[in-house]
Amino acid sequence: MKNTLIVAAALVACCNWAAPLSAQSQSQSRPAASTPPTGITVPSAPEVAGEIPRLPDGHPNLQGLWHNDVGVEALRKAGLGDIHSPGTPLPFPYFPETDKIREYRELHDPYHDPEAHCHVPGVPRVIEQPSSIMPFRIIQDEKYVTILFEYVHDVRIIPEDGSAHPKHYWAWDGDSRGHWEGDTFVVDVANFNGRSWLDMDGNFVDENEHVVERFKMTGPNSIAYDATVEDPTVFTRPWTMHLNLRRNPAKDQIVYYDCHEGERDVEHYTRSEGNAASKHE
Amino acid sequence: MNKPTATMRLAWRLSLLSFALAYISGAATPAHPDYAPPRLSDGTPDFRGIWQARGTAYANIEGHPAENGLSASKSVVIDTPDGKIPYLPEARKQREQNFRDRATADPGANCFQAGVPRAVLLPTPFQIVQSPGNFAFVYTDNHSYRLVEPDALPHDDGIDFFMGDSRGHWEGDTLVVDVTDLGDQTWLDEAGNFHSDQLHVVERYRRLSADTMLYEARMEDPKTYAHPFTIRQMLYRDTRPGARITEDECLEGSDGRWHHLSPYDQKALLGHDYKAELAAESKALAAAAAKQ
Repeated sequence: MKNTLIVAAALVACCNWAAPLSAQSQSQSRPAASTPPTGITVPSAPEVAGEIPRLPDGHPNLQGLWHNDVGVEALRKAGLGDIHSPGTPLPFPYFPETDKIREYRELHDPYHDPEAHCHVPGVPRVIEQPSSIMPFRIIQDEKYVTILFEYVHDVRIIPEDGSAHPKHYWAWDGDSRGHWEGDTFVVDVANFNGRSWLDMDGNFVDENEHVVERFKMTGPNSIAYDATVEDPTVFTRPWTMHLNLRRNPAKDQIVYYDCHEGERDVEHYTRSEGNAASKHE
Repeated sequence: MNKPTATMRLAWRLSLLSFALAYISGAATPAHPDYAPPRLSDGTPDFRGIWQARGTAYANIEGHPAENGLSASKSVVIDTPDGKIPYLPEARKQREQNFRDRATADPGANCFQAGVPRAVLLPTPFQIVQSPGNFAFVYTDNHSYRLVEPDALPHDDGIDFFMGDSRGHWEGDTLVVDVTDLGDQTWLDEAGNFHSDQLHVVERYRRLSADTMLYEARMEDPKTYAHPFTIRQMLYRDTRPGARITEDECLEGSDGRWHHLSPYDQKALLGHDYKAELAAESKALAAAAAKQ
């Protein structure tokens, strides 16, 4: 497992850097009005036989190490470094003017992907793309569900005390507040800073993004994950991303991952020697 | 680890004030040798909460005078006669060089994660997340975290991590964490005190009261120190209802200097006017279309 994760880390490191380059090379062959890529479709979650494990408070026990089950193979087939938002309904329902901005970013500005600059991915991207390759760990008590991501040591501590989102707070991961609807853990996420991309293709949200995530256990070690994203200034209507999450064996561990630009300016990033200046651990 | 901004300094002073008020009002109960911490359902001591070191040992664990807006600090090294780190001669020279170069040589200037024990001493809070069989420290600074895996799982030797590799067990009501694989890329404070990749830290956490926790870290590094030494720091619980860890990112800017992004300052965070950025992109797009 350890070795696998190291390789996986290297893989993501490589594809993070490769993404802008490959997207740039596409821009030469692809006409300006490019057809949106087709995504990796994710089937709805099968109900798996077996008892859902529970905590003393009666809620499903979400703890452990999780991956989304898109997997390395599917990503490789889709083209590493050119990952088109698995589980999302592409193309996203942009307004004409916001679609132009997406297109501009994809064709001319791919190195502005915040992930390429080591920012945390935001929601739901953090569940979608890094988690295909790098796992996340959930620790849960009666007050919080905490998600610790291997990818760029991102952390979300989600209170379930019925409290409201704060005011005057803008974050990459927004602000998450959770509650239970039966056996489904529902997380309301707001307070985004408006800079996140949804993938490497320039798909984006602004500060009006609002996400409702639903973690529904469908078996002893499986979760059907849905994230409904609305952003009235970017999209004409809400859309939902669906992924299936799979719990890893208990012995598996997070292997810490870090991301540093190691850059002096953005131009280095676009030159081949810029990669040598970058440092991934 | 970070040169505090004016806002951070103000926040820190306010938090010091609130600590002081809490102390005067008697909310911070004195340590009691018989204090029994609350327990989780499996009987392990409950360490959950948001904790923070008081004082300015993060600036120099060997102590420092009042300067640059910082209050003075006594050395937190408890088991050497002069409160100094027992450096080997070569390492002492390196430490002096580090001190002279600290403005640029501090790993914090590269936005590296703080490492252990520096992360615990920082002037920003951390949250202990815990459930039966699970234990994690989540630090505000640079959104670092450490999972404390049980002793039964061996260390991941052979790879270094900024925050090391932590294994823990309980000795009575004390959590003992064995930390290795820290590498040589982190410092102990802002003053250039450092370690090699041979650093081995044994941390001890013990709750003394509802709102206080005693922290000790014994550091052994035969390449750097003549003998092991121990630091001690009191940690205080944030008792405000609804207190939360907030998002912090440390990133190297295009000028090659680190900066922390505050989630409370939308203008600084966005770096530029988002709406203006969109407008500029639309304009560039139109210009590109006109060229064709």
